Amino acid sequence: METITRINHYTAYRPRPFTREERATVTILFGGLTWKHERLIQGVMHNLGYKAQPLPNITRADLDAGKELIDVGACCPTIFTTGNLVNFLKSEMAAHGRDEVVKRYVFLTAGACGPCRFGQYHESYTMALDGLGLRDFRLFLLAQNQLDQGATHGGGLEINLPLSLGLVWAILCADVLTDLEYMTRPYEVIPGETDRVLRESIEYLYDVFRNRPQAKLRGGKLKIFAWHVLTDYFTDALREVRRRWASIRVDRLRVKPKVKITGEFWLQTHEGEGNYNIKRWLEQEGAEVIPPPIAVWLDYLLHSPITSEEWKGAERDRKKIALIRALEHIYHFVYNRFRKALGGLPYELPDQEELKQLAKPFYHYELRGGEGHMLVGKALYAYRHKKAHMICELSPYSCMPNTMSIGAMANVLGRYPDLLYAPIEVKGDAEVHALSRCQMILTEAKRRAQAEFEEVLAKTGLTLEAIRRYEERHPEVQRSTYRIPHYGYAGTAANYIIHLARKMGRSVAA
Amino acid sequence: MGIPKVLNIWSTHQFWVGFLTALGIAPENIVFSSDTSEEQYREYGKGRGTVDCCYPVKCMSGHYGELIFGQKKKIDILLSPMIYSLPSFLRGHVLDTLTCTRVMAGPENIKAGFLKERDVFAENGIRYVSPFVSLGEPQKVPKQLYLALKDVLDLSEDETARAVEAGYRALEAFNQKMRQKSREILTWCARHDHPCILVLARPYHMDPGIGHEIEAELQAHGFPILWMQYFPIDDDLMQWLFGEEIRAGRIKSPFDISDVWPSSYSSNTNEILWGAKVAARFPWITCVLRFSSYECGMDQPTYTPTQKIVEASGTLYFKFGDLDATKPAGSIKIRVETIVHYVGKYSPDIIRRKLAALPPGCPLLEETTPESAPLAA
Repeated sequence: METITRINHYTAYRPRPFTREERATVTILFGGLTWKHERLIQGVMHNLGYKAQPLPNITRADLDAGKELIDVGACCPTIFTTGNLVNFLKSEMAAHGRDEVVKRYVFLTAGACGPCRFGQYHESYTMALDGLGLRDFRLFLLAQNQLDQGATHGGGLEINLPLSLGLVWAILCADVLTDLEYMTRPYEVIPGETDRVLRESIEYLYDVFRNRPQAKLRGGKLKIFAWHVLTDYFTDALREVRRRWASIRVDRLRVKPKVKITGEFWLQTHEGEGNYNIKRWLEQEGAEVIPPPIAVWLDYLLHSPITSEEWKGAERDRKKIALIRALEHIYHFVYNRFRKALGGLPYELPDQEELKQLAKPFYHYELRGGEGHMLVGKALYAYRHKKAHMICELSPYSCMPNTMSIGAMANVLGRYPDLLYAPIEVKGDAEVHALSRCQMILTEAKRRAQAEFEEVLAKTGLTLEAIRRYEERHPEVQRSTYRIPHYGYAGTAANYIIHLARKMGRSVAA
Repeated sequence: MGIPKVLNIWSTHQFWVGFLTALGIAPENIVFSSDTSEEQYREYGKGRGTVDCCYPVKCMSGHYGELIFGQKKKIDILLSPMIYSLPSFLRGHVLDTLTCTRVMAGPENIKAGFLKERDVFAENGIRYVSPFVSLGEPQKVPKQLYLALKDVLDLSEDETARAVEAGYRALEAFNQKMRQKSREILTWCARHDHPCILVLARPYHMDPGIGHEIEAELQAHGFPILWMQYFPIDDDLMQWLFGEEIRAGRIKSPFDISDVWPSSYSSNTNEILWGAKVAARFPWITCVLRFSSYECGMDQPTYTPTQKIVEASGTLYFKFGDLDATKPAGSIKIRVETIVHYVGKYSPDIIRRKLAALPPGCPLLEETTPESAPLAA
């Protein structure tokens, strides 16, 4: 032993235990999603007796703080999220002192992503903790692909089925509500109505998750799982949200290009300064945004093992594949129940097999890291099904997997030259450059939306005056919860006119 | 058969040669592209790039172009495998041995530059083949290569499986030979109390156009250079270096890096971290050279841990980061002079301190095997 102690070899960060007894006094910090997802996740954590708090929303100052403390060359999601934690801990230390912060908080973050740097974010966090003199601050990793991971070191946090299913259900609910938000706000007649109802709805859903019946979270795993899948508890809550949402009046005759957001997980999900507030900016520029649901990522994680398991071919593995397929069906069943509870308005999840096949000539589906083949698949899915006029792909500067799929998109664009695609590289501090690049493509998308709108008017023979008169007689069509089917046009206004024409008894081919 | 000599081909080329020759392709019909150079990219790759990224991936366009346009004898097939995982000596001791996301997907990115306007491969009568291959999981490889190549080379499943075995044998034989050579060098250093320099880098930094032969400049000053990839992993040596830590329960095996790098998914990253641990312990490695390419996302989170691991024992650490297409000859020269000065000045003390921290009985000093021929140094 003596020989070893002469040189103190480097060891990686190891958090000290977070014990069960500390649950009542220690707050679990988390972040990285939208304020809506985080609030519902907080409800889940509170429901299970944890003290939990999302980090403040990302700001430009977080980028500066992150850059100061981690190695150069990091991608901007790493820098932003590290800086976010740093700034929060700094402010808490100023208010309560270092020792109190170490005692009072732990940080929980996603890890285990495989080859991408995303799975190594925690290295940056620990480096930042060193820089702050907080080596004894506790940071724990949550694997994304396991529902039951047991207790963390010390037993303070138990990653069990009630927690994991609560988190997934919270994410799905926030996703469908986010769809509703983005399809409503650009058309709201009274400015601010959508955001107001959204805030109320999220608070209402927070209570729903906060009050999950404890009796249903005890017992066997199968029983807990079955309750989550089959209960009306969440769908009833979403119906209530729909009822509140119906009060928002919309004007769907506003001609807007639909912009589908894709990209790196954190950047595409984020709503704030970390991605130049690009979703709000697009709305201000006259677009309707299709936000990226986290549900698609979870679906991808669920589906991916099938491709590797298929290689094995043994009986045991065939059973595993069958089990995964069954879980996929259940997952889609739950998501579709939530959509249905909101009047079928949120978008359906794309079929993972279709994404795979669409991307196949351009990007192999077994290539991992980031969203893999999905970036190519999603762009082609939106293009082929006329779901959007334009794709806006958000990639962090120096993102390893995204640069590869953006490169592969050159091949896609060679074959589909009319696919409008705006790959936006986000560094965090080059806003004008990124937005002006997006604007160039958006200009063409606007032109296409307008052309589509005029084509539909000509096709139906309707005039705007006639439509307005119909709306006066049928005010229900101006409710935000009134569902307009997809008639093969990307734009909301075009589909709306076709729909009304049919309602008026005109024969119009889709 | 043309193979772009890029990325992890640098550590797996013997597999491909062994595999293809076992299929009956004559060695003279297996062509690797040249070492990377700015001229190669200018002549053959210009205008083919689809995105700005790290140079080891970006330069692939030049390699593709050279194989398509720059061969006296035209190639029929361009083979550019998407290597998903690697057969690392750390496999089984780490979480995984995956390649970098850019490395595995590089061919999809680069081929786009040759297809976006028209099919350049077809125009030149070349079949482009890019098998997805998990070299870290040998049981998967026969099927993966069979499906990718059966129509191109008219293969059966059995002969593919046999050729894959031959490929692994060739790779293993080469690696063993290189490790044996490294052991001879280390033995010479140990017996002459001579400092040695270890390179921590990715395999493709062996490419003179990527790593810019920085280590060769130092070798010219009389310091033997070893690459971490071929450090000897014999049990006697490993036990001497790590035995006490294993017995103390800090690590489970000499190849366990969980004490320094818990997210051990990436093969080359894992090996770099392991190499840093070895360098921190092995007495006659008194200096580490770390190479890293501009915008390397896999290296980025490892900069500080690697440096801390190496320097914990006082071993000298010099990083050449942000390497790109152009060789910064002037700055390399200045830094080499600095390194030579420090290695010369501090090595005796570093060797003494590190030796004192290890148990007696260095296997290299106790070896009865004849010492290799005197080194150039």
